Amino acid sequence: MPQTRPRGRTGRTPAARNRRPGLAARNRRRSLRGSAALRLRTGLVFIAVVMSFFGARLVQLQGVEPEKYATLAAATGGTVTVDLPATRGDILDRNGRPLADSVEGRMVVADPLQTRAHAAPIARFLSTRLHVDYFKTLHALSQEDTRFAYVARRVPASLAVRVVDAATALGYKGLDTRNDPVRSYPDHDIAANLVGFLGTDGPLAGLELTFDKELAGTDGSETYEVGAGNRIPLGHSTVVPARNGTDLHTTIDEDLQFYTQRVLRQTVLGASADSGFAVVMDRASGEVLALADYPTYDATNPQASLPKNRNSLAMTSPYEPGSVEKVLTLSSLIDAGKVTERTRLVVPPQLPSGDRVIHDWFSHPTLHLTLAGVIAQSSNIGTAKAARLFAPGQLRSYLTKFGLGQRTNIGVNGETAGLLPSKAEWNGMLQDRIAFGQSVSVNGVQMAAAINTIANGGVHVSPSLVQGRARTDTGEVVGTDESTTNRVVSRSAATQMTHMMERVVNPDAGTAPLAQVPGYVVAGKTGTAQRVGPNCACYNGTFTVSFGGFAPADDPRFTVYVVVQNPRNKLGGGGTAGPAYSKIMSFALRRYGVAPSGAQPSHIPTTW
Amino acid sequence: MSSTAPALRARVPRLAGAALERARLTVVPKRKRRHSSPVPFLVVVSMLAVGGIVGLLLFNTSMQQASFAATDLQHQADTLEAKKQSLQMDLDRLRDPQSIALKAQRMGMVLPTSPAVLDLRTGKVLGDPSQATGLERLRLLPPPPAKPAALDPPAHVTVVHESAATHAAERGAHNSPGNTTRGSQQGGQDRGRQDPTRHTDHTGNTGTTR
Repeated sequence: MPQTRPRGRTGRTPAARNRRPGLAARNRRRSLRGSAALRLRTGLVFIAVVMSFFGARLVQLQGVEPEKYATLAAATGGTVTVDLPATRGDILDRNGRPLADSVEGRMVVADPLQTRAHAAPIARFLSTRLHVDYFKTLHALSQEDTRFAYVARRVPASLAVRVVDAATALGYKGLDTRNDPVRSYPDHDIAANLVGFLGTDGPLAGLELTFDKELAGTDGSETYEVGAGNRIPLGHSTVVPARNGTDLHTTIDEDLQFYTQRVLRQTVLGASADSGFAVVMDRASGEVLALADYPTYDATNPQASLPKNRNSLAMTSPYEPGSVEKVLTLSSLIDAGKVTERTRLVVPPQLPSGDRVIHDWFSHPTLHLTLAGVIAQSSNIGTAKAARLFAPGQLRSYLTKFGLGQRTNIGVNGETAGLLPSKAEWNGMLQDRIAFGQSVSVNGVQMAAAINTIANGGVHVSPSLVQGRARTDTGEVVGTDESTTNRVVSRSAATQMTHMMERVVNPDAGTAPLAQVPGYVVAGKTGTAQRVGPNCACYNGTFTVSFGGFAPADDPRFTVYVVVQNPRNKLGGGGTAGPAYSKIMSFALRRYGVAPSGAQPSHIPTTW
Repeated sequence: MSSTAPALRARVPRLAGAALERARLTVVPKRKRRHSSPVPFLVVVSMLAVGGIVGLLLFNTSMQQASFAATDLQHQADTLEAKKQSLQMDLDRLRDPQSIALKAQRMGMVLPTSPAVLDLRTGKVLGDPSQATGLERLRLLPPPPAKPAALDPPAHVTVVHESAATHAAERGAHNSPGNTTRGSQQGGQDRGRQDPTRHTDHTGNTGTTR
């Protein structure tokens, strides 16, 4: 305090007093900058000028031509929109092994402007590394008037990236990769007729097509700002996440399907036949464990085969089942209380039916067969004669309950419902023929499910190909969860029919000793049906031979149904389809560890 | 004044002398102002400013760095994912039942003719175990593609060796299941097993030889 006093006492003017010594330098500067008002005004004008530039630019950008600048900004890489492709769901077998799966893939694309100069060496490099056609690639790389050319599509991502990196390292510029998912069918032809395949733009057949919406999912997208190829942190970004497709779990057993297909091919080729199919069904659940078609195709290369070989003939092509159908007719008749397995029938050499005559497949004098003998010997006359015991409309109602004339809706595109004549068309002649499986047509799984009804103690289980449930593109919900059961014939009728079917594979009494499975009791029925030709509405002299049955007969586990179209070996159902049935059934029993029970086959008399 | 003041002081009792002393007006002492140089202030301010800018810069750089690293790691993840998937593809290819079956056949494995089951509880063998035979060998490969008509074996070959060829085929079917000369050895065996008297043409291009 004492120090301040002298200053107070100096007696300067107030203005002079304000001028403190420490501020001397500042005051000098202030004088250089002019007065405060002038400075304020200058600053204001300066700011106004700058702001007006900003304003003018704003009006130019937003008011005059906003789109042009927006596209310009997007084009120079300000923001980038990338697709987030949804992963397509896999198609799996019952053990989760993939029948079709999606692999991350890339397309290799080129900018011909950059590649034209070295088109030849680049094409040579790519043709060796990517296995693409040299000349096509050369053409693509040396195009003019374009800056985009496809080199290869659906290349596994690791390979594509490796090859493009190697090309860049060699100094070849202008190659790039884009997202292009690969659909892989690791098993080639196994279940190909069911699974279908994917074309360039979408599914073209099979389950891929039927369940496309569920498998495909929904692509997402992401928009963000980039600088020098890197995402700008905290930059503007929007993300629409992709919704991946759901996997489709089928009831197919890959290994059993494989074996069934190979046995079927051997059978069809061995009989010089046109085509064939085989169905393996789980008795209790109605799940289709294998559904083999021949001819078939390689799903990884569908173009190599004829289009007609790419769908499932078993499901899409109706045929007359022939004598296998006798199982349905006669078990219905037993259920109706008209006959038993031991009912004695007189079978004449031929049976008049309307203006025609029914024959048996073998000529014979008048025979004395039991109902079991009719099945074992597959007598058309015996069956037709017995079926005349039905009340009017009864047989049709039974066959409807067995599932004939209705689609199985297991999820196969273009499934045929078969053809069960309507009540109005039904008459005695028709019934005679329908009784032994002519004049009625079915699809393969439909018929297998009908035979399975007998195996299942008379209860029809609707077959399924999809585990759980899945929605088809047409909105139908299918799968094991939707499976239904309904009783068709009594347990007793089913048991009697099983006994009769056991006689079919007996070497002395039956028509199909080759269908036996060593160690197990087998029940089955042969079928040899005349085929309707493609050109006329008549039987054209060719045949459908088949064998359907189940095992072990004392406690059935599987139903197997093998059908061969137009065999040229003249062996009939027992000789052609029987051995295939035996092999497939034997494999299935072994694979699922079904122990032989030691039971003995039925010995009910076939003659009297 | 100078005379009265001491008088007053004398008269007034020195009651609140101290308070009185305090209440006396004096000139407010001037607040001490240190006119030190502005340098410290400027240093602090500029340090703040520079520190802020540098900090921001560093933060930004580290964000960029993180972005680079993220891009790199994303790329690495993509590469590894692609690698995993191609390995998965390899695995699927190796697990294909067809390739397994082919390898098994090449090793001489055959399918059992008659399976037998050993019940571990009773120790009994169920079923009828019998030795597997090569006859059960499965034809695994598809038939060769049909040849164009020009390359089909001309009919005269069959005509010239008709009887001999038939005998040879029958002998092959009966006695030498491993005969591979016709390119369809499994077919030949199977023919032999199913029906030795038949000799169906498996190549399918001449169904008329029977």
